[in-house]
Amino acid sequence: MPDSSRVARPGGDRFEIAVDGQPAAAYDGDTLAAAMVAAGITRFHSGVDDSPRMVLCNMGTCFECTVTVDEVPLQRACLIAARPGMVVTTESAR
Amino acid sequence: MSTYDLGIVGAGPAGMTAALTALALGLSVVVVDEQQRPGGQIFRQPPASRSPIPKGVAGYPWGQSLVADAEASSGRDGIRWCLGATALGVLEDDAGLELIVRQAARTERVGVRRLLVATGAMDLPVAFPGWTLPGVVTAGGMQTMLKAQQVLMARNVVLTGGHPLLLLVAGLILDAGGDIAEIALPRSRASLRDLPRAVGALPGHLGVLANAAATAAKLARSRVPVRRGAIVTAARGDGRVEEVDVAALRADNTIDPEQAPRTVPADGVVLGYGFQPATDLARQAGCGLRWDSPAGGWVIAHDDDLRTTVPNIFVAGEPAGVAGADQARAEGRLAALMVAASVRGDDGVADNDVESARRDVRRARRFASVVQRLFEPPRETLTDLARGDTTVCRCEAVTRDDVEVAIEANPFLSSTNALKLECRTGMGPCQGRYCELTTAGLLARGRDMSMEQVGPLNAQFPIRPATVGEIGRMAEPE
Repeated sequence: MPDSSRVARPGGDRFEIAVDGQPAAAYDGDTLAAAMVAAGITRFHSGVDDSPRMVLCNMGTCFECTVTVDEVPLQRACLIAARPGMVVTTESAR
Repeated sequence: MSTYDLGIVGAGPAGMTAALTALALGLSVVVVDEQQRPGGQIFRQPPASRSPIPKGVAGYPWGQSLVADAEASSGRDGIRWCLGATALGVLEDDAGLELIVRQAARTERVGVRRLLVATGAMDLPVAFPGWTLPGVVTAGGMQTMLKAQQVLMARNVVLTGGHPLLLLVAGLILDAGGDIAEIALPRSRASLRDLPRAVGALPGHLGVLANAAATAAKLARSRVPVRRGAIVTAARGDGRVEEVDVAALRADNTIDPEQAPRTVPADGVVLGYGFQPATDLARQAGCGLRWDSPAGGWVIAHDDDLRTTVPNIFVAGEPAGVAGADQARAEGRLAALMVAASVRGDDGVADNDVESARRDVRRARRFASVVQRLFEPPRETLTDLARGDTTVCRCEAVTRDDVEVAIEANPFLSSTNALKLECRTGMGPCQGRYCELTTAGLLARGRDMSMEQVGPLNAQFPIRPATVGEIGRMAEPE
């Protein structure tokens, strides 16, 4: 269930981002990775073997949370802040 | 192009301390870190708009004030904090060293007279069947997502690994209302019962152990099953982790093939086998490495005053050997003093300061070496968790079979670098950080060679993926 992974009510303002065309809730202060996890998204990108991949390290080293953000590919969702109106596309195998 | 006396990559305990020390000595300083706020992973800060984490986090009473001092310095002359920024590499020409820094869409050349590599460490990656499934997460990943974002990445998890951080994460998960299906702990030289005694033997130090001991008591109260001499051998599920295999380990930490693993329902696996130094920037800059398994694997070779093998490049903190935040802080101060002495000549720094800094490093190191020996990961057992069809290189989906076929088919192949060229392991966006130790371990075993003999992977510029356009624009003179 979306948002059930949030431990505390986020303090910041609520806004929407779009992930693969679907609206998802995010809050001021969320990283994009946190907002996507809280929205129940488990496939951030697909490996070259087409397997689903999701946040592993949450510190910028593993590149498993990479997504396309506003048409810029290979963005690490754990390192960037979610912003209102962000258009996110989960990436597929190269 | 602007030029600074000192460029620091990494804003953790070592980088923050070095920056403030160098600034106080009148040097001009630039600090680059990928996070939005200083602190590093150990003192990872929530976004400024949310409430701060409590003082003395992770048992280090000086942590929050160091972060506060670092943030308070940001408006001052002589220091520039490049946060949310990536050091793509370091280049050298006749004029000296240049850091290539990408911040948002802008890539910039920053001249630095001296460079301090304070890039910290990452969780030790361990390849096992199912480790690419969503829901498998490192202890550091689970911890930072909880601490900085208050998001729980899985609701009912199995934790595995022998590092004390794993227990801290277990405590955080319980506090956050998550469930722990089981904790599987390979044998270490220290048992949970030893932890309180280890703390008592080391007064004034390492709150991590103290917290871990307190957490052990909390786990006992919560009736979380803690299995000693056990390890997670597989995760399975459709699209994410749904069940996890836990196998018994024999006294020598090898898996008992006679005993079938137990299957535990869970939606996540948390891996806490320890840490490996983040050395890619130093590798790309040409710094020599040294194999030191208790200190995390490949560490950056350095002398007692933290000079690397490349002139004008220094190292502090975990890349010099994973030793915890107290030592990182001590090394950050010593490195800054050494940098100041080398920029200004020895007269620029008081002998007393250098002596006290060296003393602090020695004291921290004595303690850290005890902890390193207690919690050294069982590397042979970990290498063998990967089965033939297990992905070892996550980026390029190279399996253990692929690696071993390449080793067998090329009898003269004897370096990790050559193995990379042969089977693509380590060629993806993570640049080999997650497969290097597994593939090097397989090669070393296949050839009956040591890790020193098969060697580390080289790192090339840029050390993070960058577009041709970004590199091209960077090359234009400003």
